[in-house]
Amino acid sequence: MISFILRRLMTLIPLLLGITMLAFILMSLAPGDFLTPVKAQRDVSVELIQAIESEFGLDQPWYIQYYKWLGNVLQGNLGHSWAYKLPVSELIGQRIWATFLLSFSSLIFSWMIAIPLGVLAAIYKDSIFDRISAGLAYAALSIPEFFLALILVFFAAQTGLFPLGGATSIDYEYMSFGGKLLDRAHHLILPTLALGIGSIASIMRIMRANFIDTIRGGFVITARSKGVRESVVMFKHVLRNAINPLISAFGFALSGLLSGALMVEIVLQYPGLGQLMYQSILREDQFVVLASVMLGCSMLVFGNLLADILLAWSDPRIRLERKN
Amino acid sequence: MFQRMFRQALLLGLLIFLLTLISGCDRERAEERPKLPVLPLPLDKLQVNFPTGVFGANLSETVPGDIATVNPLVNESLAGSLVIGRILDSLVTLDPVDGAVIPNLAKSWEISEDSLQYTFHLREGIHWSDGHSFTAEDVVFTWQTFFAKKQDELTGENMMDSQGRPVYRYNSRSTFGQLINGQEPKVEMIDLHTVRFTTPEVYAPFLLFGGGEEILPKHILQDAFKNGTLMDQWSVQTAINEPWKIVGLNMFVLESYRPGERIVFARNPNYWKVNEMGERLPYVERVISKIVQDVNSSNVAFAQGLTDFESIAPDNVAWVRRGQKKFDYTLLDMGPSNSTNFLWFNLNPGTNSEGKPLVMPHKSKWFSDKRFRQAISHGINRKGIIRGVYFDRADILHGYVSPKRKFWYNEAIRKYEYSTEKSKKLFAEMGFQYRDNKLYDFENRQVEFSLMTNSNNGLRVEMATVFKENMADLGIDVELQFLDFNTIVTKTSDSFEYEACMLGLGGGAPDPYAGKDILMSGGRMHFWNPQQAEAATPWEARIDELMRQVGRHTDVNIRKKFFNEVQAILAEEQPLIFLVSPKDFIGYSNRWRNIEPTPLGGVTWNLESLWAEPE
Repeated sequence: MISFILRRLMTLIPLLLGITMLAFILMSLAPGDFLTPVKAQRDVSVELIQAIESEFGLDQPWYIQYYKWLGNVLQGNLGHSWAYKLPVSELIGQRIWATFLLSFSSLIFSWMIAIPLGVLAAIYKDSIFDRISAGLAYAALSIPEFFLALILVFFAAQTGLFPLGGATSIDYEYMSFGGKLLDRAHHLILPTLALGIGSIASIMRIMRANFIDTIRGGFVITARSKGVRESVVMFKHVLRNAINPLISAFGFALSGLLSGALMVEIVLQYPGLGQLMYQSILREDQFVVLASVMLGCSMLVFGNLLADILLAWSDPRIRLERKN
Repeated sequence: MFQRMFRQALLLGLLIFLLTLISGCDRERAEERPKLPVLPLPLDKLQVNFPTGVFGANLSETVPGDIATVNPLVNESLAGSLVIGRILDSLVTLDPVDGAVIPNLAKSWEISEDSLQYTFHLREGIHWSDGHSFTAEDVVFTWQTFFAKKQDELTGENMMDSQGRPVYRYNSRSTFGQLINGQEPKVEMIDLHTVRFTTPEVYAPFLLFGGGEEILPKHILQDAFKNGTLMDQWSVQTAINEPWKIVGLNMFVLESYRPGERIVFARNPNYWKVNEMGERLPYVERVISKIVQDVNSSNVAFAQGLTDFESIAPDNVAWVRRGQKKFDYTLLDMGPSNSTNFLWFNLNPGTNSEGKPLVMPHKSKWFSDKRFRQAISHGINRKGIIRGVYFDRADILHGYVSPKRKFWYNEAIRKYEYSTEKSKKLFAEMGFQYRDNKLYDFENRQVEFSLMTNSNNGLRVEMATVFKENMADLGIDVELQFLDFNTIVTKTSDSFEYEACMLGLGGGAPDPYAGKDILMSGGRMHFWNPQQAEAATPWEARIDELMRQVGRHTDVNIRKKFFNEVQAILAEEQPLIFLVSPKDFIGYSNRWRNIEPTPLGGVTWNLESLWAEPE
């Protein structure tokens, strides 16, 4: 097991090298750099621009910049943000909790709804309920997240039932602890919906298909012929076997935990990591962009790793070790 | 049994995890907020003459975009300057009515006979928001931070760059902005309340440019200045965790900051302005600024009655006006704004790295003929742009100076009314002819060019479209290119590979010398042909000379005479073809009292005297 995990983590090294190098090349190919907006202002002198360029190393070719950055990263230093004059790790630390909270709540929301719905759709296969849920699922799958978010903003603006954006109200600072929790929850509802509805549909469809497959298994007939109650058959025997493939899906969902909310955060003005990433890409604040890219990439590898481990743990037939 | 317990434990664990996540979002502060001491009123307090009001109301507003820092030496964003401007203050400020330089932290000043020495007398008895005395030492410290030199670690000598210029320790905008022809002005402390600046040569805008620098607190920042971390101070991290460490002399202090959400300012209890009754201002207890990502969502917030003050974009005025009764606010037309929109042709005669000319030689020949530029200017239907693009909420712009700057505006310059006949006459003079309603030059080449503008500015994209139609009426084919802003900047300031470009400029300092980088031929922003080693044309040479005079004379009437001529030359030569200037609109909630908006100061110039009944 340990050697499996180590092997997996080793693949992360070339992956990170490749992806950061790609990011560096793309950023150097893009027109302009961090200082371009400064150049567009009238009261900035040539000397200032030259001085900052040499301070940031922007006057050097990309491979030298990359080499220097890599050296710093190997020493555990992700660099300073040019715009914020802060270590990148601190900057990400400021925002990561809000994004984590949002992704986690939407994960729980979608799974709590999708699994029961999928099971019901399988049990009552071809019923009216199954048809309606299938229709809704296709509709939800075909609406992109950002569009759903836009519709929700419009809904909030028209009804006034939900805040238009942000993670807290204006008077948040002066609320009691309970009030703060409620306020955060209230602000979480729309982003959670926008982020969760798409995955409800896909998880539900997977759950339904698995469940139907498993119902046909021989052990179901055995259980029924033993006289086991139908509800026990379904929820104790079938459900446990049908849920296996979803465990690996859960691992994949984890990998998107930090980077998946980007669009929704921007549209709903939710102050998380996605907004920071988006703004630093627009500003070409190099080191913040690179750190976000690395974070996303590592989460993907860790998510997959976790999915494999969970699967091995839940299904004794799967062995991760290579046979000697 | 065991399973049920396990399940309950799992649920409980999940709940605890979520709670920690939520509280992770408001990490506890490292130390408690200190209570600000309230010191006696300063000797040189400033009494403002507005009717006495009631203390304690909160004001809400929006900030355009998030801030990246609260350090004025680092800041590059508009949102940042708005926030810093609430906290820090400067020696002099501008009169909101006539735009003259008036006392602020300095109660008075003298300028020596030779116009080289500026002696400022500071208000006595003023305190920083944390209760520390404000003295001339703070002013001297602020200027030290601009011009501190980087020293060689081994020899301890000042380092020089390859061109023999000193290397500065902190590369801030002020460092290079305050250099006068490459030389530093000197600053010395005469006594605790007097400070004297000496400029290396006569430099008229110094009173405004130098006196307008925001003063930094020496007692807070000197350690960071010495150990080299000055630029890292007052970051957003400080603003989030220890906002009280950011102290200032202006009417507010930072109370809290939440990235992407809001900035809260609290009243500075040691402010130095008082009302008629001698009570310390401002009336406002707190300012809550919501961070929004664009102008439209900011305007929406105001139109729903969520914010108190707002400047309204010209294309949003119509629908914002509809809410006036329902949400009890007022929308005012403040007349012409400082923003200008213009287009120009690339007059750069150079070649690119492969030796190809930047602009095709025959096109270069058209563009560099002033009659061609004049003909284009006559061919633009500016009234049509105002009606079609701005719905009448803009004014025709004839020259470099917006009519808002009444004092510097030269009414007598040449104006280019919309007249296709005049354009065609000028083209005929140049030997151009028409065939099948298309214009051909003297070598029988069809007249066509491409015009680029930034795609993220909707109004400018529409203006470019009107321009294309106007040119079609003249028989000229214009190819429009809507590009990313960074690409435009790269093309206009680095590669110079374009034919024509449409851009705009916002406010800028009110002194004409602030435009030297645009107007002088060696300037970095001399759009049509920047950074010339020597003026390429006689008229550019004349503008260079006139601008030098504008910088050198302190008599404002002499300066105006020179600057009038600059405007007249620009109008005659049309290197920049000006289009329109949008109007300023401001809105304010009717619950506020003592509101006296002025075109220059807007509605919040007397923020300390504004009051409302606390809710």
